Amino acid sequence: MNRVKLEERVFELVGYMVTSGRNLLTETPLYGPFRLVDAASRLISILEEEGVESDRLQAMRTEIDAGKYSVMSDVEEFESFLDSLVDTLVDHADFEERR
Amino acid sequence: MELWEAIKGRRSVRAFLDRPIERDLLERLLEAAIWAPSGGNAQTWRFVVIDDPIQIRRIKIVSPGLLGDPAAVIAVCQDLTRARAKGGELGETFLAPIDAAMASQNLLLAAYAEGLGTCTIASFHKKGVGRLLKLSEGVKPILLVSVGWPAEAPPVPPRHREGVFLFEDSNE
Repeated sequence: MNRVKLEERVFELVGYMVTSGRNLLTETPLYGPFRLVDAASRLISILEEEGVESDRLQAMRTEIDAGKYSVMSDVEEFESFLDSLVDTLVDHADFEERR
Repeated sequence: MELWEAIKGRRSVRAFLDRPIERDLLERLLEAAIWAPSGGNAQTWRFVVIDDPIQIRRIKIVSPGLLGDPAAVIAVCQDLTRARAKGGELGETFLAPIDAAMASQNLLLAAYAEGLGTCTIASFHKKGVGRLLKLSEGVKPILLVSVGWPAEAPPVPPRHREGVFLFEDSNE
């Protein structure tokens, strides 16, 4: 991805996060966690196009995209989905110097 | 298509194919929209169709509820100055948004009958979208509707019925 395209993708993500911040003052509070994990998924996609990729980031994005819309239909399922995401984080919480 | 099939089959679609929508098809959706009921027959709605991909990206920057990459976005707006002139405070604050919602439902059902997927969006920054669309003074966006060829078939959400249907018996 060239620098112009990267800057545009980041600007779009910034727009998504900033406008979410404003709108969440009056929207359903459940949209807050949805927007956060969706922004994480978008960030992973941007990094991947920039050549920054890993199995654990891909795993996180796959899991986020598979479960994020449960916020629309089942709050308990959405809560379990978020807990599962944290489990996945813990499973992969390691750094190169320790590997 | 049977009306009941459209009512029960329509879903909120958030994943779309990379395929444009012909302008005459979009015009048919708008035609369906303007046949919706309108309080006091005010018809103060305005519809702005955005089918330029760059303009859609600009709208998305201030519209967190606009998910996926639809071929078109229809901003369902109201001329609130005219709504007030025609219907007073009731017209501006109550009838105008309800009219926009009813027009949107017509549009959604017509789109579904054409094989299109749609999603109604309220999560957007009204002033930001208004600026990007260069809306006239007094014209405000009420809803956005994303429109595109569906790339997914969302599951059927459960419908709640208990305590929803009430038949009042005046003899009891």
